[in-house]
Amino acid sequence: MCHPAAVSDFGIVVFTLQVAAISTIVIAPFALALAAWSWRASGVTRTVVDAIGTLPLVMPPTAVGYLLLELLSRQHVFGRAIPFDILFTPAAVVIACAVMSFPLMFNAFRVAIDDSNARYFDIARTLGASRGAAFARVTLPLAWRGLAAGFILAWCRAIGEFGATILIAGNIPGRTQTLALAIFDRVQSGQSANALLAYVVVIAFTAVIASELLSRAQRRRLAR
Amino acid sequence: MIDLDLQLPLPRFTLAVRATLDENVTAIVGRSGAGKTSLLESIAGLRASTGRIVIDGIDLATLPPEKRRIGYVPQDVALFPHLDVRGNIRFASHDETRFASLVETLELAPLLHRAPATLSGGERQRVALARALMTEPRLLLLDEPLASVDQPLRERILLFLRRIRNLGIPMLYVTHQPFEALALATSCLMLDEGRVFAHGAPREVLYDFATDVDNVFEVRDPRHEPERGITRVTTSRGLELALPHDEVSSAAFPLIVRISGEEIVVFGERPKSISSRNVIEGVIAKRREREGSVDLTVTTPEIVHVRVTRGAADDLQLTTGRCVWLAMRSRSFRIVG
Repeated sequence: MCHPAAVSDFGIVVFTLQVAAISTIVIAPFALALAAWSWRASGVTRTVVDAIGTLPLVMPPTAVGYLLLELLSRQHVFGRAIPFDILFTPAAVVIACAVMSFPLMFNAFRVAIDDSNARYFDIARTLGASRGAAFARVTLPLAWRGLAAGFILAWCRAIGEFGATILIAGNIPGRTQTLALAIFDRVQSGQSANALLAYVVVIAFTAVIASELLSRAQRRRLAR
Repeated sequence: MIDLDLQLPLPRFTLAVRATLDENVTAIVGRSGAGKTSLLESIAGLRASTGRIVIDGIDLATLPPEKRRIGYVPQDVALFPHLDVRGNIRFASHDETRFASLVETLELAPLLHRAPATLSGGERQRVALARALMTEPRLLLLDEPLASVDQPLRERILLFLRRIRNLGIPMLYVTHQPFEALALATSCLMLDEGRVFAHGAPREVLYDFATDVDNVFEVRDPRHEPERGITRVTTSRGLELALPHDEVSSAAFPLIVRISGEEIVVFGERPKSISSRNVIEGVIAKRREREGSVDLTVTTPEIVHVRVTRGAADDLQLTTGRCVWLAMRSRSFRIVG
């Protein structure tokens, strides 16, 4: 993910898609585990789990970025525990994208799993399947379209991430500059950002359509 | 032997069931909301109840559902929509011998590659039964398996349920239909507000509390008389009956038949000339007053329940101990399965 200083628009797009994809893949197991926990939890536990999963969505991105900056800095015990520098590297972009897109994935996963009908999970257990096996053999196959839709939504959100990224990764062309940062950069310096904007619109539109089609397919499947 | 001592708090009352059931078929009856489904779900381990569920000396109450080996067929059957019929049946086990045996018993071979969404109500029930039986359950729980199917299918599924009963698997069977309980069950548990209101032989429990007056007989030993249009059969207690030949000529015996007590005509004296093929002498053992009608329990070789209008009961002086003759048209019998 290291790029030369002069980067083409296409290079920025490729880098952005890469870090968005990596961050989405990284958070998927955690979002799935938290959504599954929320699904089987009840009362206060569920409320707390849902709040944890949704928190970055309701916090200002710059506040999340500041929090990450503090945590990952060498002054913090957490930052010191990491054996290499993260801040202002492509890895920091991945982290910012992951944290900011997590709530979208978590909420989409939770809805998809909720829609899968706990009844099937329960019946699978009476048929000898453990919790994990019932989840893997029944709930996941029933929810996969909704999960895929959530994955795409989170990926889109990661592509557009700006506030937290600029705080912990900076805006270094060829190193940490993503589409959103590049557009900001062009506007700041009075250049046209139309080409980048076109990329963003095409990518976002295609992804949202795909996500919506998958969500509909999920609802149709479960309504049968 | 199955020992139940269960408590489960529900919104309106606490389900508290204490009963010892034999290892045959127990029908669970009661009004909607009496706690029947909650009881089944507690036994299956899907509700966090307290107490004991002892089967063959093993207390299952502390085990998770997957360790209980209790087959459960819910009312909505809940076939997995992402698996075909074969995948559903083989979900619990890949035992080929058992799979083949169940496919044959429940006549599922033509359905194996179908998706659940394409099956009829009766087919779904049979698949759900096979799926539950693949676990080799120590107990089978059925929640109104005939609720969503029409009459011809109902009779057919009852036939399959009797085949399962003959496999020797104990069953708890929730139903609203007295005739189903009579056709299948060896004991009957009536629930009311989460508690056992009555427990005993189905005939006793149902006739004491049910509003219908169904008579269900298991008949065997068919003697076909096609020229007269009848088939003579004998009930398990030795009552001789004549059934329509065209309806039972190809049926598999023993057969369950039922007749409503409202379709039985009562005579104070032996009728001399009557078209009914079944005229049976009996003695009134019990008379129970109802609103506008009277239910009679008549002892013949079988116990027969009859409903007559209050006027008829008074005119014929139908009191306990009186000798009466019952006329049952052969066409009034319904073949249950």
